[in-house]
Amino acid sequence: MNQLVDLPTRRVEAWKYSDLRAAVDERVQFAVRRDRAAPEVVAASTSAGIIGALAAQAGEVERLSIVEGEAVVRVDRPGGDGNLAPRLLEVDVAAGGSLTRVVVQRASDAIILDAAHVTLGAGATFRQFALAEGGRLARVETHVTVEGAGAHIELNGLYLAGSAKHADLTSVITHKAPSATTRQLIKGVASKGGRGVFQGKIVVERAAQQTDARQYHHGLLLEAGAEVFAKPELMIHADDVQCAHGNTAGGLDESAKFYLRSRGVPEKQARAMLIEAFLLAALPDGLPTEIDAELRDCIGAWLETSI
Amino acid sequence: MFDVRDLHVAVGGAEIIKGLTLAVPAGETHAIMGPNGSGKSTLAYALSGRDGYAVSQGSATLDGEDLLALEPEERAARGLFLSFQYPVEIPGLSAIAFLKASLNAQRKAHGQEPMPAPELLKLMREKAAALKIDPEMLKRPLNVGFSGGEKKRFEALQMAVLQPRFAILDETDSGLDIDALKIVAENVNALRAPDRAMLVITHYQRLLDYIKPDKVHILVAGRIVASGGPELALELERAGYDKYLRAA
Repeated sequence: MNQLVDLPTRRVEAWKYSDLRAAVDERVQFAVRRDRAAPEVVAASTSAGIIGALAAQAGEVERLSIVEGEAVVRVDRPGGDGNLAPRLLEVDVAAGGSLTRVVVQRASDAIILDAAHVTLGAGATFRQFALAEGGRLARVETHVTVEGAGAHIELNGLYLAGSAKHADLTSVITHKAPSATTRQLIKGVASKGGRGVFQGKIVVERAAQQTDARQYHHGLLLEAGAEVFAKPELMIHADDVQCAHGNTAGGLDESAKFYLRSRGVPEKQARAMLIEAFLLAALPDGLPTEIDAELRDCIGAWLETSI
Repeated sequence: MFDVRDLHVAVGGAEIIKGLTLAVPAGETHAIMGPNGSGKSTLAYALSGRDGYAVSQGSATLDGEDLLALEPEERAARGLFLSFQYPVEIPGLSAIAFLKASLNAQRKAHGQEPMPAPELLKLMREKAAALKIDPEMLKRPLNVGFSGGEKKRFEALQMAVLQPRFAILDETDSGLDIDALKIVAENVNALRAPDRAMLVITHYQRLLDYIKPDKVHILVAGRIVASGGPELALELERAGYDKYLRAA
């Protein structure tokens, strides 16, 4: 069965900053079309979205159920040898269950599309940390749906968009049940010719009273010609909630740089220390030691080659 | 040792320091007192080389070497130290990592190897104890969540570790309660030495009860309008800056 997914143009809001169609046209489309017999277009509006449709086509769909009281830690490393690497993970976390997910998306020349759809039962916990180094176009897309009361979500991430890399962290968190907490901190850096994208939507439905949601994004533009696009969105339909958000994008803190230099640290080193400090402050506490070490190594290696 | 002549400094095109001359010989501690807006912090930043503080005229030398031609890090390596009025918070960088980078950068500039970690830790612990700084505080992100007193004590710790030739203390007393002020002053006094000099910048006389200056200079509208012994600070405490402001 050959299928062609109807790829979004930039006019589709969710792909405004990540031009998937253009990226695919340049690298992949021809190979896909060459062996098609009777292409069947998969609509972009399926519940798992574009990435889900592409992942289904590629046979890269995984389903996971976490039962009551179970705690799972998993590391996903999206990518692969091909030009286009879509993956879909569907997770159902039952009441009181917990999933800690770390996504390590290393720099690539390919189009990498990673989507996770996570559903949380009452009192369930989902913690995610995504490190995205980008690709020709890379997106780590996370959908979380709170179905049970009192769930807890930590959705953090870091993008490191080096030259000619496009790194996109997109998330949609939908609170359908009351008394859940969401904590989201996304940080990122972009070099000249690099593009970082953060799209974060938090929806609080009417039934989701006493939701406590915080979302922060801080982008650091390392030099002229770097790009950061941020689209934070809070849609609140309940009246008894606490929601806060903050979004910044800019250059390095000059007063911090001067502080270091006034102590004898040369400018280049001061800059590297501040960028590293900015990035490391996004790493959550409590990750397993070896995963924490891997993430620190990734950041260190990126800094060495990119600044 | 430290010599400033006819210094003019502009910030954002406006001249703030308008011909300042000052000499602090080795072994001495001088105080600069002045009302708000007189140019105290501008002087401190300009001498340490902050961007945006443009020197249009005059000179500043340390041991005869022209400081104004040097980058901030080069001035630090020559022994210049500025204790900040508002120490900067840097999330993600521990206080200890900041101190280690500072010390080793200066050692490198002097052609020395980095200080071995055990020796460095011992040195920091020793100096921290004298300032009654909890060693756990050094593991925290730099100045983040530090109280006003903790920030100033950490500035004093940096000074104790870096052992500068010439230190400028910019409003070290602001944000300090009396106990912390005494501790900081004690440690600053312990650094007084025949081959070292200091410039204490302050709005209030209070600090000078604890760090006793050899000379006091009064800065008004970017110029030193009076100089004298410690008694000048006491007179100022009594009569205020009015007399000088009217003259300026």
